[in-house]
Amino acid sequence: MSWRAEAARYWAFVAKNAIMTRRSVFMLFEVLFWPCVWLVSVGLLTRFLELRQEMVAYVLVGVISMSIIQVCHLDVAFALLLDLWAKSMKHQFLAPIHQGHLLLGHWLMGVLRGIGVFALLAVFSAHAFGFDFLRAGVGPLALFLLGLFLNAAAIGVVVCILILQYGHRAEVAAWSLVSLMMLVCGIYYPVTLLPGAVRWLAELLPLTYFLEAFRAYYGFQPLYAHSLLKGYALTAAYLVGLLVLFQWGLNRARRTGLLLKLSE
Amino acid sequence: MPVPISEASAISPTMLAIEAQGLHKVFRGGWPTRRRKEALRGVAVAIPRGAIFGILGPNGAGKTTLLSILATLLLPDAGWARVLGLDVVRQARALRARVNLASGNASFLWALTAEEILHFYGRLYGLYGRGRHRKVQALLERCEIEPYRRVPYNELSTGLKQRLSLAKALLNDPEVLYLDEPTVGLDPDIAVRIREQIASLRRERGITIVLCTHYMREAEQLCDEVAFLREGRILARGSAAELKREIRTGDRIRVRLEGPVPALAGLPGVLEATAAEGVLECVVDDAVKRLDDLLGALREGGAVVRDVRVLEPDLEEVFLELAR
Ligand SMILES: Nc1ncnc2c1ncn2[C@@H]1O[C@H](COP(=O)(O)OP(=O)(O)O)[C@@H](O)[C@H]1O
Ligand SMILES: [Mg+2]
Repeated sequence: MSWRAEAARYWAFVAKNAIMTRRSVFMLFEVLFWPCVWLVSVGLLTRFLELRQEMVAYVLVGVISMSIIQVCHLDVAFALLLDLWAKSMKHQFLAPIHQGHLLLGHWLMGVLRGIGVFALLAVFSAHAFGFDFLRAGVGPLALFLLGLFLNAAAIGVVVCILILQYGHRAEVAAWSLVSLMMLVCGIYYPVTLLPGAVRWLAELLPLTYFLEAFRAYYGFQPLYAHSLLKGYALTAAYLVGLLVLFQWGLNRARRTGLLLKLSE
Repeated sequence: MPVPISEASAISPTMLAIEAQGLHKVFRGGWPTRRRKEALRGVAVAIPRGAIFGILGPNGAGKTTLLSILATLLLPDAGWARVLGLDVVRQARALRARVNLASGNASFLWALTAEEILHFYGRLYGLYGRGRHRKVQALLERCEIEPYRRVPYNELSTGLKQRLSLAKALLNDPEVLYLDEPTVGLDPDIAVRIREQIASLRRERGITIVLCTHYMREAEQLCDEVAFLREGRILARGSAAELKREIRTGDRIRVRLEGPVPALAGLPGVLEATAAEGVLECVVDDAVKRLDDLLGALREGGAVVRDVRVLEPDLEEVFLELAR
């Protein structure tokens, strides 16, 4: 099999999502409008509360991370979500592709878009709120972003698995899952503030560790040793498990006929 | 009287594009009651390479279900199917590169244009670079969508959507093509054009085509062989001519006449006779054998025959007879 044919299969999804973004106002809003509104409003709030510069950085790291995850995970969820809406699900599964093409292709677009959102928000918050996003250095920043992207991939795959299980009823997951993470993983506050059981949940989610690790560069003592490592290890474990579940869900949808029901 | 499914063994297996035995499919749907719907109850088919095979049946008969199993979109509960020698469950991915499907009520991403949709699926089939552009261009022309290439999917008419669906199904030059009601809901003139394209596909490229439809006319016109599917079972299969011969619905003789209409009930071979407003309709077991006697009896009874027509049964009647 020629590598160009293989590359075309991955690229198909990147190209599709790129076109869809240009075409739909909804997507442009998702990518540009909401992240900016969120950043500006929270940034101004930090001004009003007269937070120290480190605190401002603490909060903005959270906001920017969530925006990146939101945007990137949506691209992965679009692996099934767009076809769910268009009722065209079966055609892509009729083609000779495997889940790697589907998920990696969509994730690539998510990464590209995520980098775009990061650049936009980082530059903007540097100017407007004096946030120094390069304080950690390029290497740690890149590792942090990669961690976020992988996290987003995991959430996107969860959405896809839910769609394969529940069809249209799973749509809400696409937006609510990320918001739940916002609550649990310590976007605006350290997870020590969380009540026992919820904190335990936070410790199961890799995002908690990625945020910890990155905020250490802004003078916040990390709660956990080897945060970055833990984050990556957890993410890898989740991704492997989720990919297995995805394949299982897809087979199940082929058996129950859901794949057909979500088409036409 | 169902016709036994003809023995597949008469044809050597390598000549078969599709072979299936004992296909069963039950859908469990509807939460929380979990309704059970038996869509297929033991379906067997044997379709030779290069044939156009029709699957006929009313809505809900299980046509789409059968096609979906053969296209690897649905896993059967029991039974097996091989397409191009590949098992539809265990060798699905290898098979997918060599088959394709178009359905009459297909749907694609609404915001993409006709051209973009073909490029997207073309890439999924591993087409790249200039080769893909040439292919897409050729299909746009072949399926007569070239003038609408830049129109978003949701603004295309039903006929154009159907043609786009067909174009998409030809992207990988499939050896087996599944068509699920390709002309459903179309104006007659557009339906005719699509039928012409289907016929020419087989003529030019020798593709094996499986065509699901509930238009008997369409099947009669296009298919070498048809199978009648009803409530998940194949009631009969064979060529249209065979089926008509085997399932004798009788031939219909229509006579326009003047004068008294004599009683015909006693005449041998006459199954039914009704007369109204100078037109006599007779159903006989064999028109060729009985026509002369019938006309003789009419003349003897004093009727003047003005016009005689022998009507062959169409598939519709065969099906109605079978479904009784
Ligand atoms: N994905 C599905 N989930 C649940 N039931 C289905 C599904 N697809 C078909 N059915 C049911 O199976 C039966 C056969 O359907 P189908 O194969 O679509 O018939 P046809 O194509 O001949 O009209 C119908 O009663 C239909 O309601
Ligand atoms: Mg159908």
